[in-house]
Amino acid sequence: MALIECKNVCLSYDNVVVAEDLSFSVNEGDFLCIVGENGSGKSTLVKAILGLKSVSSGSIDFSKELSDGGIGYLPQQTTTQKDFPASVFEVVLSGCLKEKKNRIFFSKKEKQIACENMKKLDILGFKNKCYRELSGGQQQRVLLARALCSANKLLLLDEPVSGLDVVVTAEFYSLIEKLNREYSMTVIMVSHDILYAASHASHILHLKKNGSYFSKAEEYTASDIFNSFKDGVGND
Amino acid sequence: MIETLSLVFSQQFLLRALVVGMLISACCALLGVSLVLKRFSMIGDGLSHVGFGAIAIACAANVAPLYFALPIVVVAAFLLLRMNEKGKIKGDSAIALISTGALAVGVLATSLGGGLNIDIYSYMFGSILTMTDSDVVISVILTAVIISFFIVFYEEIFAVTYDESFAKATGTKVGAYNTSIAVLTAVTIVIGMRMMGAMLISGLIIFPTVIAMRVCKSYKKVVVSSVFISVICFFLGLVFSVKYQAPTGAVIVCVNILALGIFSFIGKINSFQIKMMSEKVKKALSVFVLIACVLILVFISSFESLDFSRNSGLSVITTNFASYDFARQICGEKAQVTMLLSPGEESHTFEPTAQDIINISSCDVFVYGGGESDEWVREIISSVDATETTFISMMDVVDSGSEHSEESCDIEDHDHIHEYDEHVWTSPSNAVKIIEAITDAVSEKNRNNKLLFEKNSESYIEKINNLSSKFRQLSQKAKGKSIIVADRFPFKHFADEFSFNFYAAFPGCSAQSEADPVTLAFLIEKVKEEKIPVIFKVDLSSGNVARCIKDETGAEILTLYSCHNVSSDDLENGESYVSLMTKNYENLNMVLS
Repeated sequence: MALIECKNVCLSYDNVVVAEDLSFSVNEGDFLCIVGENGSGKSTLVKAILGLKSVSSGSIDFSKELSDGGIGYLPQQTTTQKDFPASVFEVVLSGCLKEKKNRIFFSKKEKQIACENMKKLDILGFKNKCYRELSGGQQQRVLLARALCSANKLLLLDEPVSGLDVVVTAEFYSLIEKLNREYSMTVIMVSHDILYAASHASHILHLKKNGSYFSKAEEYTASDIFNSFKDGVGND
Repeated sequence: MIETLSLVFSQQFLLRALVVGMLISACCALLGVSLVLKRFSMIGDGLSHVGFGAIAIACAANVAPLYFALPIVVVAAFLLLRMNEKGKIKGDSAIALISTGALAVGVLATSLGGGLNIDIYSYMFGSILTMTDSDVVISVILTAVIISFFIVFYEEIFAVTYDESFAKATGTKVGAYNTSIAVLTAVTIVIGMRMMGAMLISGLIIFPTVIAMRVCKSYKKVVVSSVFISVICFFLGLVFSVKYQAPTGAVIVCVNILALGIFSFIGKINSFQIKMMSEKVKKALSVFVLIACVLILVFISSFESLDFSRNSGLSVITTNFASYDFARQICGEKAQVTMLLSPGEESHTFEPTAQDIINISSCDVFVYGGGESDEWVREIISSVDATETTFISMMDVVDSGSEHSEESCDIEDHDHIHEYDEHVWTSPSNAVKIIEAITDAVSEKNRNNKLLFEKNSESYIEKINNLSSKFRQLSQKAKGKSIIVADRFPFKHFADEFSFNFYAAFPGCSAQSEADPVTLAFLIEKVKEEKIPVIFKVDLSSGNVARCIKDETGAEILTLYSCHNVSSDDLENGESYVSLMTKNYENLNMVLS
């Protein structure tokens, strides 16, 4: 059964319809990239998947594992975080909030989960460093580690590489692929980087005003929508 | 320093100030962490302005300020949060709009309610020295609520503060936490306003976190150290303000500024990228800087100290000049008579310092007005152990208002002059009653000199009675001629006694400086119509209104003395109630005869 099943979804933002008749599904182990121009409804869709926004029509169904909130979310960075005095460990640990339930503080178990995830992303060495003193790439890894803490099956990344330079971007991508392959994490990533998406993702959802496009990556690269878009990018 | 400390711990009112202050400081610091880190610092500031507006309205409408302001500020907190989240007007503008709006409403309410009275003034600048037991109880409850809120929901608050969208995605009720923090902030600000004043309370919220952020690298450290910083800064501020008789709220904020400087410096040292400096050296250097600062503070504070020795002889303290003069005339050399107001100081905005309160509690006789402008006296009476002090309220002595008819006071209707005037001593017959009361009190305290006191008192009363008969004759000669006082009007009791026909710009107690245009036009018309050659201003006033009327009409300006205070020159020249009232007589005589 699919992790997420999206049927004829219509999304609106400030009472303006941004995406109509969206249908797609995400299966375990998929790497879905959501691409599309600004204002095409990517962020709105992310919010709808997270359950922070209701759909105008249609339905989004989650499998059992996800229905109690096992989505690891990596939001876009806010300006508030840039000079926030928090240690790396504190940030990562806050991903375990769901596990904590009714206890007041985190237990050993949650701290262990946090440490394991930091290890996975190779940031255990910064555990006690201050978040604001890290480089952009390191900060993004910290947030990814936090997302992992709250994820059972699925990572939802909202433009995770914006603001990172080429080298760090490549590193970050390979990290995501590693999580996807080795740790069998299902990944949904919102991205502007259509070429990367086409070559590395397993599925593509291209949001567009009139008629969005969802398919496997191979089919997508052969489609008109990709080619016209790619040329558009190339001409810039 | 040690003397000041032992004083703080020995005096009930200072101890209360200390307890309330430290608790409120801790609350402010905790809330401040969330507000500052979420970029909501201005909300604290905005709310304090709203609080001021609400309290101004409450004072004008004569309802309990705290209970009135509380719901309004809480609602404002909701509004600000909502506007921040989804309003069309963005955060900073929303806050600026609300705070200036509230300020404007407050100023309007103040003016409609008869000017800046002491209640509003104390909420503007705080009056930590007059905390009552119920203030202590309220702040203990508030602190308990806030601290347990922050402990129980510590992890959630961190998540919400650090990253709202992530917290939302993991199912945390972000809105509920934001709302709770806003409501708690609103409550803390309203309660803290009593202590720090509306103008400065937001400093207590913002400073500690910003200071802690200079050196702390984790959220937990920021939270804990900002609480400590806030409490320590408050403590130092209170001790310094007691020692140097400075306004407490302002001193506390200054201590915070100092701390910010020190911690920024330490932060700089820590971030130096010099390889030669190991972590240990940096730490040592930071500790050294801190210790040096503490030593400097101790050094500064070891200079002079409060005097709280009990006077051996008879001591009388009075608030204003009239009562000071009476006591001085009665006691002569036999007592030490002091006036709380400095020469030239405005009585309506007077706030007692710690030294004043100590002096009052240890003096033999304390004479005060008993009206709105020394409401603080009642708080002192209830908060200080002063069983040996006789308190004399001049308004109570003359039992003002009850026996006076209103017809004699012929003032424009929209000036609420009929209602209330606490300058009871402007009527000579009241002055006599006050003198008799003071005489009784000092005679009681010092029986040996009873005869002398009574003799002095009789001779002064005689002088005053002579003046009275002169005024009475003048009044008969005047036959209802108009007297224009282009100023506030503290002479209701005087006018009542002799049936003078006064027209004034605004009521006696207001610290207003602007007359409303209708009254001003009316006065100008009056002067022109009746060809009045002389108009009056009140002593120690700016005389702006009088000058304005003079420019319009060419009338001359003379001064009427209300005797609530005198300039330092006049004090040195030995002016007295009788000499000033004689001047009033001469000036009035020029107009009326």
